[in-house]
Amino acid sequence: MLQFSKFVAVRAALAVLTLVLVSFIVFTLMELVPGDCAERYVAFKSSQGSVITAADIQIERVRLGLDQPYVQRWGSWIFNAFQGEFGDSCILRVNIAQLLGQKFWLSLGLCLSALLLAYAIAIPVGIIAATSKNAVLNNSLRLVSYLGLALPNFLLALMIMLFSTVFFGDSLTGLFSKEYRDAPWDYDKVMDFLGHAWLPVFILGWSATAFAIQTVRALMSDEIGKLYVTAAAARGVSGRRLLMRYPARHALSPIINSLGFDLNRIFTELPIVALILTLTEAGSLLIEALARSNDQQLAGAIIFMLTASIVGINFITDIILALTDPRIRRSIVG
Amino acid sequence: MTRLLDVENLTLKFDTDEGRITAVDDVSFTLEAGEVMGLVGESGSGKSVTAKSIMKLNPGNASYGDDTKITLHLEDGPVDIMSLHGSKELKVVRGGAISLIFQEPMASFAPAITIGDQMVEQLLIHMDMNAKRAKEVSIEMLDRVGISDPSMRFGQYAFELSGGMRQRAMIAMALSTKPKLLIADEPTTALDVTIQAQVIDLMKDLVKDFGMGIIFITHDLGVIAQTADKVAVMYLGRLIEQGPVRDVLRNPSHPYTKGLIAALPRLDDLDSPLTPIPGDIPSPLERPTGCVFHTRCSVNLGDICTAKIPNFAKVTEGHNVACHLFNGEGAK
Repeated sequence: MLQFSKFVAVRAALAVLTLVLVSFIVFTLMELVPGDCAERYVAFKSSQGSVITAADIQIERVRLGLDQPYVQRWGSWIFNAFQGEFGDSCILRVNIAQLLGQKFWLSLGLCLSALLLAYAIAIPVGIIAATSKNAVLNNSLRLVSYLGLALPNFLLALMIMLFSTVFFGDSLTGLFSKEYRDAPWDYDKVMDFLGHAWLPVFILGWSATAFAIQTVRALMSDEIGKLYVTAAAARGVSGRRLLMRYPARHALSPIINSLGFDLNRIFTELPIVALILTLTEAGSLLIEALARSNDQQLAGAIIFMLTASIVGINFITDIILALTDPRIRRSIVG
Repeated sequence: MTRLLDVENLTLKFDTDEGRITAVDDVSFTLEAGEVMGLVGESGSGKSVTAKSIMKLNPGNASYGDDTKITLHLEDGPVDIMSLHGSKELKVVRGGAISLIFQEPMASFAPAITIGDQMVEQLLIHMDMNAKRAKEVSIEMLDRVGISDPSMRFGQYAFELSGGMRQRAMIAMALSTKPKLLIADEPTTALDVTIQAQVIDLMKDLVKDFGMGIIFITHDLGVIAQTADKVAVMYLGRLIEQGPVRDVLRNPSHPYTKGLIAALPRLDDLDSPLTPIPGDIPSPLERPTGCVFHTRCSVNLGDICTAKIPNFAKVTEGHNVACHLFNGEGAK
């Protein structure tokens, strides 16, 4: 038990270390963008008609602390970042934590739900696909799976919107109905949210599911061919027990291992879906900050939080793996 | 002696994308209770497939010949194995009255399940006992095969045991249900020679104690000489020679058996060159006509060997060979 706590502590420390490292990379990238927040703000001001001098820029720099040495600014940025404080957006001049607010958590929630949906479908379907000898079933699964991989998310989203507009007169966009958008969270708002959220979750989950089915099926076929499965059958283990206790049980570890990677992939698909469904979520803010407004503070904050989520997921999957897979557990506990 | 197993006209074919492959062709043999039979041949000769077909363990694309008949004689009457269908009926030949040990003990234990759990699982499937008793029996068996600290080993995984220990545990598991027939598929090939000798001794002891029959599959004639009462030699899915182990090894009659024995390295004359059997085992898709061995045979008699499948002919009492040198027109 002591050794296990030690393992968890070491993994947690490694996760924090990874985050610090990532923060340095993110911070450096933010710095590499030509110009800084002061110039950007001043440029914005001058576009509004104000007359700006070099002295004004310098005053703004001092106000933002941009005159401090690089490492010191990184230090204070990371220190604040770990407390969920990312300063002000360069362009929008509002506190980033407030601007992002629940948007980031909504995005993460959407992605996690899509991931959950994907594996909730992929694990049983993948197992059936790997074991069934029914050619019709296998080929139709394959077809659906390829469709999922080949059909771009935005096209699927557009098709569903078109279909829904034509037949139900509702385009199914947004995450909230108008009346709930700024309302505090209560039961009705949650229900309204769920009524809207299923669509982005479904669309994000669609290709993720197709991908996950391929993964689960490949892993299962691999395990089923192994000698220990034949050996178990030779001992009289049969039917569902043979399937679940032997190949399925052993295919689980690599699946758990790939969850962090899958979450990342889903998150990168989120902005396009969000754009079409006019969701206000963090992914589209990131694209906006990166591609349009060049808002390095905002972009850095979102990238940092996303990385933190993935590092967090990987930390959790490491712990789960250590608990479920004796080969890993014994290497820790001895 | 009482008859334990009758295998008659065993033929097994696999449907593959390249066509239908004959893996076992018209193989017949018998085994008495308490008898050890060695099944010898090169890789690809159909030894393992023959063994697995006794437990009906071959994959879905396998089909048995129409006149294949396998009978297992148990105390409460003969079991017609070909007529068993479904996991319930097949239980008796899978881990019940027949147990199978594989070549790779590491790969034949599930890596993420403890050895004890896998043993208990088998006992609960086949024996009328509760989990507590099954655990006791498992630990007794681990002790019986010479594993030290068996109650600790019970809770361990295969990767935590040494190679010889794993194979002992495998034997303990296979024998825990007190099977009448043990099929050992190259059980010592993956072990060091010293460990190999220990495991063979252990198996010989256990056979005597448990009074069961063993089919011992190997390509190692040395192991056969030590362990088996009789031997059957397979080539390309066909049985080509069988008989009491000393007769066959001292007086090999089939050119293939002679070749196998001549190919053994000799420790007493290290300078003598090795004499391998020329050529390679043909692809199963291009089975030779007539005698399956004629493409590599040193005494090929010509037309008769390429056209006609040789019948078994008697060499001495119980020692039979399927070669045209010994029967019909080819006999000298």
